[in-house]
Amino acid sequence: MVLRPLMHIPDGYLSPATCATLYAGAAPFWYTSLRKMRRVLHSRMVPLVSLFAAFSFIIMMFNLPLPGGTTAHATGVAIAAIVLGPWASILAVSTALTIQALFFGDGGVTAIGANCFNIAVVGSISAYAVYRVIAAGSPVASPRRVVAAILGGYVSINLAALVTSLELGLQPLLYRDASGAPLYAPYPWAIAIPAIMIGHLLVAGVAEAVVSGGVVAYLQRAEPHLLQPETLAGVREWSSAKALWATLALLAILAPLGLLAVGSAWGEWSLEDFVTPDSRAAIANASGGAALPAQVPAGMDRLAQRWKAPLSDYTVPFFGDERGGYVIAAFTGALLVILLAGAIAFFSRRRSTQESTYFLEKTIAGFLRALEYASSAEQMAASKGLLQKVDPRVKLAGLFGLIVVAATVSRLGVIAALFGVAFFLAILSHLSFVKLAAWVWAPVLLFTGLIALPAMVLTPGDVVAGGGIFSVTASGVRGAAFLILRAETAATLSALLVLTTPWPWVLKALRSLQCPAVLVAILGMAYRYIFVILQNALDILESRRSRTVGPLAATEVRRSMTTAAGVLLSKSVQMSGEVHLAMQARGYRGDVHVLTGFRTRSADWVWLAGFAAVAVFALWLSAGGHA
Amino acid sequence: MNAVFELSGVTYRYDAADAPALNDISLRIEQGKRIALLGANGSGKSTLLRTLDGLFFPASGSIRFRGQTLDRSQLEQDSFAFDFRRCVGMVFQNPDMQLFNPTVFDEIAFAPLQLGLPKDEVIRRVKNTLERMELSQLQARPPHRLSGGEKKRVALASVLVLDPEVLLFDEPTAGLDPRSESQIIDMLIGWGGEGRTVITATHDLGLVEDIADYCFVMEEGRIAAEGDPAAVLRDLEMLRRVNLIHEHRHRHETGEVHSHPHRRPHRH
Repeated sequence: MVLRPLMHIPDGYLSPATCATLYAGAAPFWYTSLRKMRRVLHSRMVPLVSLFAAFSFIIMMFNLPLPGGTTAHATGVAIAAIVLGPWASILAVSTALTIQALFFGDGGVTAIGANCFNIAVVGSISAYAVYRVIAAGSPVASPRRVVAAILGGYVSINLAALVTSLELGLQPLLYRDASGAPLYAPYPWAIAIPAIMIGHLLVAGVAEAVVSGGVVAYLQRAEPHLLQPETLAGVREWSSAKALWATLALLAILAPLGLLAVGSAWGEWSLEDFVTPDSRAAIANASGGAALPAQVPAGMDRLAQRWKAPLSDYTVPFFGDERGGYVIAAFTGALLVILLAGAIAFFSRRRSTQESTYFLEKTIAGFLRALEYASSAEQMAASKGLLQKVDPRVKLAGLFGLIVVAATVSRLGVIAALFGVAFFLAILSHLSFVKLAAWVWAPVLLFTGLIALPAMVLTPGDVVAGGGIFSVTASGVRGAAFLILRAETAATLSALLVLTTPWPWVLKALRSLQCPAVLVAILGMAYRYIFVILQNALDILESRRSRTVGPLAATEVRRSMTTAAGVLLSKSVQMSGEVHLAMQARGYRGDVHVLTGFRTRSADWVWLAGFAAVAVFALWLSAGGHA
Repeated sequence: MNAVFELSGVTYRYDAADAPALNDISLRIEQGKRIALLGANGSGKSTLLRTLDGLFFPASGSIRFRGQTLDRSQLEQDSFAFDFRRCVGMVFQNPDMQLFNPTVFDEIAFAPLQLGLPKDEVIRRVKNTLERMELSQLQARPPHRLSGGEKKRVALASVLVLDPEVLLFDEPTAGLDPRSESQIIDMLIGWGGEGRTVITATHDLGLVEDIADYCFVMEEGRIAAEGDPAAVLRDLEMLRRVNLIHEHRHRHETGEVHSHPHRRPHRH
């Protein structure tokens, strides 16, 4: 949560099943991208993808003033897709998101698949498609290309947000505890979709459009060759990939079976529907003649036991059971969430010193914060605490396992106990509390707390406090507690990994845990060049600031930001060429060879056993609650 | 004498529309010599080094490495490529571009690993090189947290670990403070000899006599002059023409103002 708490899905918002499904959804795209890139680019792929990942990472930290006085940042996914084509863009943006999650704690570790699927895959493909359709055949300098980039940026980020809101809104439909409290993200589609989409349609989408259009306009003037198809010949083609489409078709069939069949989408019927002849006929009709199984599916039966609140008549207590209650509830809920998000933005803005150079200052401050975090993380990882001595592979596997467990268990006490374990490990590893509070606990509490707050009122259930509009329900409170506790626990556990392990050892651990060497090389190189490009960006913006006298108009700031983004983009491409030469000069021919020298000591086996024991114990405790 | 490199009529263009970066270059570099490529910014030194390292391939003309043609198809063959890369090392001007690994240790291990040396041998060599280059304390550090001088030393170490017979060095002292500069030059001088060939590109005339037995002066992609360092450094008019020296006006403590061609070192 060091850089951008408002962007990516954190841990604990999606159920493990949803996370796994989205990892599976992103995997065929990663696989196909890697295959395609390798074939066309041979040895150039690793430096090119790494440098673009670093660029995309930096772009996500640019603050932009928007018409109307709000502020937002872009993801750079549309620019990456336009310059690199969809395949390389998927890999580059995924790498950036993975580093954000693994190292900076922005976005959950279990949600890496989800965030990559939403932003990297959906974003890249839609941006590229829109750009290609609109820019088709126009000359490089044509204004049509700028329009194409603007629309590509706007559409792609909104589609990514829509997919995100669908995933989040699915959670309360599928996952509730015995009392009806939502186990993960608490808002159904009726609230999640408008709450997320309004912000993206009005603010984030505009930022993405401004940056994409501005950078393409800059490239037309300064680096037109980057917009020409032959520059990165072969990478940009969107030719058929049979294996990919076949896998996706399979997933499209399997995902609903695994996730949705338990009761939603076209299957929003209740148990009675399975046994009364009339409704059986109606469903069979609607399903194109396919009859329902004679028995109630066992899974559905079990789930139905757990759902006290039927979802088909989702209402807020103070509206009773009126028909219009659904609509009004959704409207109020969305409004509340938006107001709170606005409040966060407002208060973070108040903290700024001067209005005039605010956006430059804020971006520069963000860069410095990232640098400070990185150097403190290195220092902590080098100190002689308890976890620092554990084999990185054991730590990686163990802590990831505990994060998954924290996302799986459905008893608040068990999650709190896991948080206690994480807290205890942090003490024994000499982690600075001030820094943990500033980087992990406070931002998570602020962000997730504000998101969870309206859920206390908006979740149907027995009223425990307040009255009228502010009727706090028991399941609402439980739902909010689940979300906050899970998010805090998972964030603390993943901070434990990063803050006690130097980044190179994290990479080595990934390698020896059979992560493909190419991916690990890309992660390592991208991380390295983040700091080079960050320094470049700092220089550009600080020289801009030093030449600034008096207040800058918002348009002026926007222009200098997009120009800086354009300069960084062309530098990144140039650097990737240079780095490639330097790699070739030392014998690199497309395959990465690495040293993995870990010696597992007996103490590490004890640690592994310890992690496993905690995980199993937590699962056992949680399961015991249902018996 | 054996020639390491023989170039005849080598021309190279970055872009078909631009003026050539290398224009009809013919030269011969003997084994065991220390060569300086002198020239102002943009004169083609770096391009020539990259061509010698088999990274760029000339549009016309030919390069021979120890009598064998050096071209794209040769370098696509594993056996030739491995031999060539093990034999010829290059240090790039900007260490940030050359240092792409997570730690100093990994950085120095990169080349021997890529070239298929056995892992024990790689580790032994890396440790030796770290000690020789006084980098042992830095081995676990990420390169982006090093100072400019340290980065340059790591970049040099990452090439010397292969013990190449030919070293190509692009601007060894660019952007270094005086102490780091002399450290690098001392290492360079200490490493040469025993039949090793060192080719250094620089515009720092003060270095030439320390690092070279023979010089080529480049201007706009051509060889403008060549000869032993003393003779080249004496030809002030040529040096002024190729932009390696300029008129320098300054005031002395006596109050007298005079002007003379500016280069290091100079006597008044």
